[in-house]
Amino acid sequence: MSQIALFGIIASRMINMQQVPDYFRYYVSGLSVMTLYSAAIFIGFDIYEEAEHGVFEYLLSLPVSRRQLVLGRSIGGGLRSFIYVGPLIGVSLYVIGSVNPLSFLASLFALFLFSFGVSGMSITIAVIIKSSDRFDILMGVLDALIVRLSTAMYPLAVVQAANPLYGGIANFNPITYAADLFRWGTGIEAIITLDNPLMPLIGIIVFFAFFTFVGITIYDRRIEGGGWQ
Amino acid sequence: MKAVFHILEHDFRNFFRYKWWLVGLISMNLADLFIMAIVYNRMLSEELMQQIKNYFNFFAPGLAVTGLFASAFMIGREINMERRREIHHYMLSLPMTRMELAVGRVLSGGLRGMVYMSPLLVTCFVFLGFPTVSQFLAILAVLFLLAIGISGLSIAIAVSTSSLEKFITARGLVYYTLFFCSSVFYPLSLIQQLGQEGKFPMALVTLAEVNPLSSASDMIRSFLLGTPSFSLNMIINVLIFSTIFTLSAAFAYIQIIERT
Repeated sequence: MSQIALFGIIASRMINMQQVPDYFRYYVSGLSVMTLYSAAIFIGFDIYEEAEHGVFEYLLSLPVSRRQLVLGRSIGGGLRSFIYVGPLIGVSLYVIGSVNPLSFLASLFALFLFSFGVSGMSITIAVIIKSSDRFDILMGVLDALIVRLSTAMYPLAVVQAANPLYGGIANFNPITYAADLFRWGTGIEAIITLDNPLMPLIGIIVFFAFFTFVGITIYDRRIEGGGWQ
Repeated sequence: MKAVFHILEHDFRNFFRYKWWLVGLISMNLADLFIMAIVYNRMLSEELMQQIKNYFNFFAPGLAVTGLFASAFMIGREINMERRREIHHYMLSLPMTRMELAVGRVLSGGLRGMVYMSPLLVTCFVFLGFPTVSQFLAILAVLFLLAIGISGLSIAIAVSTSSLEKFITARGLVYYTLFFCSSVFYPLSLIQQLGQEGKFPMALVTLAEVNPLSSASDMIRSFLLGTPSFSLNMIINVLIFSTIFTLSAAFAYIQIIERT
């Protein structure tokens, strides 16, 4: 909230109106997606805590398959991050104003998939690495790169103009897809010039499917045998 | 004095235990500079560009100061953890006076901040140009004062909060208020202009003006970029902040840690 009230207001005064007509609304909607990403990542840290306290063995002993376990964790992680970001999304909607309910529901659905996908990614990386320190570092670096090389804080055209490499990465970034879809759903797509909302939606579905279903396979193989640090 | 060195050694050993975590943190800071600042540079208003010329150059000194702030604040998390796990009883049993213990903790927090910040400051010099020897010494002195002030602030919060959650909440509040109500990300004149237009609370404008993060960032900018012009108030602001929080941290550390 303080980021909206302080950074959002002041930074929007810095921006060229021709580049981004209403940076405040642009930033507020991007902030919701950035926060959703950070909240969904947290499930990985919980896995380390469970491993440290022996809860992991208890979960493995439950009468559920490994696949059900990881799918449940991904959906649980995604849902709780959604609840956490709910108030911020509410503030975003208040700032943005009236929205088209159908588009908004479609974008909300995409955000759900995005959030499950990020949780799945966090769980997959956590069980591959099995070291909380390394996970912490990797997530920090990944967060720095994936958020900054996306359209969460600035439009794609500006990123591309600043550096074509940055633009190329931002073009294939799930945060870009989620941020663009959220802006499209809330009716501020004029700022982002999103031609076809189907493309980012497909991107989100691919991201979700990869980290949920490939994640299950990796989880299945790596979960046994201890080695947690 | 020897006791203070032992505390410094203890805290520096702890600091370097997390060396990879620090590498991750530095890379995040550098991502801010080499990605965010470069992209922002493309979309700033003409009015602002005339004032600051280049956002990358403008932001680099601010980034060194934010890095210093984040790393000097780390000592608070350790002290809060010691308090929760009751390791402070062991610290109090060490053959040194309470004042030596408190001074050692504040000093080590500040020095660790300086060590962490140094690659960011060097990056800043490489891209913006090197200051004269006297300017360099002034920068180091002001940043050191700022670092021990931040370390003191973080210790005062750490010993006043009973749980990690409360400490993290308080830290978040202090972080965001001091970072965003400062000239780290944007020129002070922009905040003042918003205040005059009634779009930003005057209390927060005043906070931005006296904020030591603004003073330290602007002092480095004045030496390396020529704007804003150097003012003695920049040093006085940091000095007052440092004195208040170093003394209050030492007092709080001695008083509260013995009580629990």
